[in-house]
Amino acid sequence: MRSNLSATAKVYLVAVFVILYAPIFYLIFYSFNSGGTMNSFEGFTLEHYKAVFEDNRLIAILINTVIVALLSALIATIIGTLGAVGIVSMRSQKMRSTVLSLNNILIVSPDVVIGASFLILFTMIGVKLGFASVLISHIAFSIPIVVLMVLPKILEMNTNLIDAALDLGASRRDVLTRVIIPYIKPGIFAGFFMALTYSLDDFAVTFFVTGNGFSTLSVEIYSMARAGISLTVNAISGLVFVVTVGVVAIYYVITNRAKKMEAYNR
Amino acid sequence: MANDIIIRFDNVTKTYNSNTTVLKGVSFELERGKFYTLLGPSGCGKTTILRLIAGFDTPTTGDVFINGKRVNDVPANERQVNTVFQDYALFPHLNVFENVAFGLRIKKIKEAEIKVRVAEALNFVNLTGYENREIAEMSGGQRQRVAIARAIVNDPEVILLDEPLSALDLKLRTEMQYELRELQQRLGKTFIFVTHDQEEALAMSDEIFVLNEGNIQQSGTPVDIYDEPINRFVADFIGESNIVNGIMLEDYKVQFAGEVFDCVDGGMKPNEKIDVVIRPEDLHVTTPEAGKIIVRVDTQLFRGVHYELSTYDEDGNEWLVHSLKRAEVGAQVGLDFEPEAIHIMRLNETEEEFDARLEAYTNEV
Repeated sequence: MRSNLSATAKVYLVAVFVILYAPIFYLIFYSFNSGGTMNSFEGFTLEHYKAVFEDNRLIAILINTVIVALLSALIATIIGTLGAVGIVSMRSQKMRSTVLSLNNILIVSPDVVIGASFLILFTMIGVKLGFASVLISHIAFSIPIVVLMVLPKILEMNTNLIDAALDLGASRRDVLTRVIIPYIKPGIFAGFFMALTYSLDDFAVTFFVTGNGFSTLSVEIYSMARAGISLTVNAISGLVFVVTVGVVAIYYVITNRAKKMEAYNR
Repeated sequence: MANDIIIRFDNVTKTYNSNTTVLKGVSFELERGKFYTLLGPSGCGKTTILRLIAGFDTPTTGDVFINGKRVNDVPANERQVNTVFQDYALFPHLNVFENVAFGLRIKKIKEAEIKVRVAEALNFVNLTGYENREIAEMSGGQRQRVAIARAIVNDPEVILLDEPLSALDLKLRTEMQYELRELQQRLGKTFIFVTHDQEEALAMSDEIFVLNEGNIQQSGTPVDIYDEPINRFVADFIGESNIVNGIMLEDYKVQFAGEVFDCVDGGMKPNEKIDVVIRPEDLHVTTPEAGKIIVRVDTQLFRGVHYELSTYDEDGNEWLVHSLKRAEVGAQVGLDFEPEAIHIMRLNETEEEFDARLEAYTNEV
């Protein structure tokens, strides 16, 4: 690929990425430090990672986090996909843009506001703060993300495909399961992985709605970091970073496959 | 004969958004097993007729009958009609086999029978061996064939084709015209073909419906429509034509371009104002003395098969001539033609009146 960037632009770009990634790598680097602090690197060790895996409470929290992320992403993907199909099939243009705006407001509104309002809601209707409240709120803030990822896929779909399916005898249900959903599958996967990462790294909303005895990784890391420096935090962060890179890689592969399909539509 | 009518439109109108009327009371009957073409410029309502037959739209007023049954309220997925779309509308997530098998799978036909029928349909369109190809790997002409196979595999009574050749290059288009015509004759099904390309219509059809602005202007065999266009629109739209104003002095005597000529039309009022049509290929270039009309050659284009001359007579009427021989630009030449080449069109004559008059004066002879 030919690069059109000037030398200054390249230096600038490199500098930006160094500044963005340096703290993360600094953190991960010291997770291998045999000394107890981040002041000086004394020797290589995996004891902090060992500590993570030996800490049963931490493992339980990790499992909680993953279960909440998978469940909320799955449920949000189902609801969000059906929602996107519903939005597209709305006849009234006004109604459609209203619903879309409401959807987008939820994405841009601060997590603190969402978290606080969920806390008020749950205490009002008497939901016990814990797994259920965290799951419900994660589903709620993931749905708009899924809608946003799925919608463009539906919009780019040739409406003649639906006519063609009807013409071949398909019922409304067949059209959905045999044409629309297979076609927008890349968008659905993209939405699922986005929801997954949002849920995995959510702190603000979870912090509000979680209760005694239930915690997720980000909330736990926060309280550990407040309690004082322990390189276990570095080790967990390192693990989370690796998992995140993995999820991004999967997302990339899926969108690439989708591009191949798009080539046909042109 | 009555049960040979497969599709009937009874005074059908279609209005979109309560103000745009695309069909203004269309009635026609289509016989089983023929190749029909709906021909007209864009926006004439031809695609709307197709969508009404397929069931994607419902008529605003009037009735649509398939096989004698009123189908206004029958949804598309319950009609024995299949469509080949302009952009083919193949399912990109399915391979060739699954695209063709789609309709059969919906009907829950047994796997073994699906295999046989898909193979048969692909064989019909010369795509045997392409079963496992992805749609993205197919060329335009091949996609076109997959779309046709997907329609015929369901054994429909009627196959609708919505400008299926418009996306292909000229050579492939001509090839597909032959193939489609042959396919229709082998299958013996009713084909309804929509196009704005008059050459396609003339080459393939048993019967052509010429449409304009939501009305059927004329229907008939390609030869009828070409030789006896009913009005200026049809004459102009089908092939190239010279249309000039004239006066019908009496039966078989017409005056135009300042002269009186013998012709073979009749049945009008004496001295009625009419339009005269002469096709460019019916005009022969000759010497000014031997010509019936004297014209000056204005421009000349080489069209491969012939030269196309644009000439003007003294009154300023343009005469398009297809000539096998070169002419000198700027030269005076004569144009000769047979009485049979003159076709007379009455102003604002409907198709029924036209047919009645044709019958009346040919019976006299």
